[in-house]
Amino acid sequence: MLTEGGPTSGGRGIEVAGVRRAFGDVLAVDDISLTARPGEVTALIGPNGSGKTTLLLMLASLLVPDRGTVRIDGHDPVTAPAEVRARIGWMPDGFGTWDALTVREVLETIAAAYRIPAPQARERAEALLHTVHLADLADRRARVLSRGQKQRLGLARALVNDPSVLLLDEPASGLDPRSRIELRDILRSLAAEGRTVLVSSHILTELQEVADRAVIVARGRSIETQQLDGEAVTTALASWRIDSLDPLRLTEFLTSRHVPAQQVHGGMVEVEVAGEENAARLLTDLIGAGVRVTAFTPTRGALESAYLAATEDRQ
Amino acid sequence: MSWHGISTVARLELRQRARASKWVVVLAIWFAVIALVSVLSYLALNDPDARSGAAMYDVVIFFVLGLGMLVVPSLTATSINGDREHGVLATLQTTLLTSADLVLGKLLAAWAISGAFLVTALPFLAWAWVEGGVSVGRILLAVVVLLLVLAVVCALGLMFSTLTARPVASAVLTYLALGALVFGTVIGFGLSAFLVNKEETVRVYGIPNDFFDQNEPTYDANGNFVPGAERVPTKADCVEHDETRNVTHTERIWWMLPLNPFVVVADAAPSEPPANPDQGMGFTPMRWISEGSRAARVGETTELRQECWVDGPAGQQPVDPNAAAAKDAAVWPFGLVFLLLAGGGATAVAERRLRTPIRRLPNGTRIA
Repeated sequence: MLTEGGPTSGGRGIEVAGVRRAFGDVLAVDDISLTARPGEVTALIGPNGSGKTTLLLMLASLLVPDRGTVRIDGHDPVTAPAEVRARIGWMPDGFGTWDALTVREVLETIAAAYRIPAPQARERAEALLHTVHLADLADRRARVLSRGQKQRLGLARALVNDPSVLLLDEPASGLDPRSRIELRDILRSLAAEGRTVLVSSHILTELQEVADRAVIVARGRSIETQQLDGEAVTTALASWRIDSLDPLRLTEFLTSRHVPAQQVHGGMVEVEVAGEENAARLLTDLIGAGVRVTAFTPTRGALESAYLAATEDRQ
Repeated sequence: MSWHGISTVARLELRQRARASKWVVVLAIWFAVIALVSVLSYLALNDPDARSGAAMYDVVIFFVLGLGMLVVPSLTATSINGDREHGVLATLQTTLLTSADLVLGKLLAAWAISGAFLVTALPFLAWAWVEGGVSVGRILLAVVVLLLVLAVVCALGLMFSTLTARPVASAVLTYLALGALVFGTVIGFGLSAFLVNKEETVRVYGIPNDFFDQNEPTYDANGNFVPGAERVPTKADCVEHDETRNVTHTERIWWMLPLNPFVVVADAAPSEPPANPDQGMGFTPMRWISEGSRAARVGETTELRQECWVDGPAGQQPVDPNAAAAKDAAVWPFGLVFLLLAGGGATAVAERRLRTPIRRLPNGTRIA
């Protein structure tokens, strides 16, 4: 659907080791290391100002790191920017566009900038417009697009050169729910074609469904890499919210079982349980003990819990 | 760098300009203003004794240059930092376009637009040619030099747009730089003329000053002038002698003049002097500037000055050797070379400033 020939085989994805970058006195990226493998969607998550965008600028061959190394499919963006640029598709946060050009012309111009001959460029633009559902707006000025539509055009723009590595900075921001689901499907199919996909985002629930692994960054440092496969989800510490008709008996039961619990508004109780297996057991025991449970729901995903734990100490 | 890359950027720029702003309207206004100036100068200067074509040619060429220097910076002076502000520069920098493609493409597009402005002025130059007094060769030379000067203006604007983060700042800097070239050079020349002015002893062939002391008019006892008693100097009274005079060594400071784009254009292609000097000179500012700056380049003579300004039996006026030298002392090649070097340098600076990945990021600049 998205490719003509598929990405160049033998891609090695993104390898970042000990990267640092300061702007004057401001240390934007202190020490970030990460690996994003071909065939996987890697999420880059972290609070505002944690250095995600700066890191992506360095990966996109726009900024030289002060220290550390970056490799895109084995190429260094500093010494071999042309090789890197041929392989990457970069979608910046807050995508600007040439106001006077139509949506189709934007894509054809980018194709020309990649030295794609005009006939192929037209075909490519047409195919991408269908992929991101902008075909009916193809001959409108890019200026009149809504924010979400501009984001989709930005994604199409990043795919023009059939890149093997995708760097997407907040691609879901401004998208309506349907577009988000479509974005998720696009990202999954891009990864399935063997591409390396790195997505930075705040929307954790979205990422949990699409990403294979998550790199959490805070204050310019990579804190941890979280596997997001099935096993990780079933064993990770997660938070569950319990509501019952007998709040008193519920708290007594939890205290007797030494389950760390927390009262939240509306008489509900929140507990931290490691893994779905343990959660199911807790529910069985509660009912066995005669507590009349009316609700037992996860409040946060594993990714959200990990994110909050990692960024807890922020000022 | 490749022609494909340059033309991709140039086509993008031209397409944007053609749609984003009302360039057709701007061109129409430009055409109307030049038409108005041409008609007015024709009415004002149409003198059957002088050839009004030369005057019209001067007015139109200078008007195009002056207005061009006002309009052209708006094409490039906000081009790169404006793109940065709109977040569209980085999306091109991550493609296979090089920084040279970007700079030369933008320069080419701006130059093509300034060429379009020049083309709209051509009918009025043709009119001047019909009126007589200027040759087609002169007009073509003037147009070529104008095109080169406008290219330099484009390049300067482009450089400033890579040097500052805000488009307003680069526009102001571009106009200041052009102001320095147009007014600064003239002011600099005028003020430094004072520095090269000093009293010197010069050798003169002419009537010595003491001739009139010795031949004072005669008055009678009542103080009435007695005619016939004084002696009128003749050629025979001219002698070589020393005199102390103020000498301005403009040959030391003339180089400031050709830095001025107006001097370059004027000196490159002034209208030809009339074949018959009695026909009247007319209003020809380009020739005045040309003659003035050439005379400044030659400076005052160090040789014997022929100043025997009396009608001798031979009835011949002595010729100033410097006036003859000044005819061949063209100043515009120096100015044009300087301007082209400045334009080339500005383009090189702009290219350097657009190279990615960026190592040092200037304050307040955003990448994407």
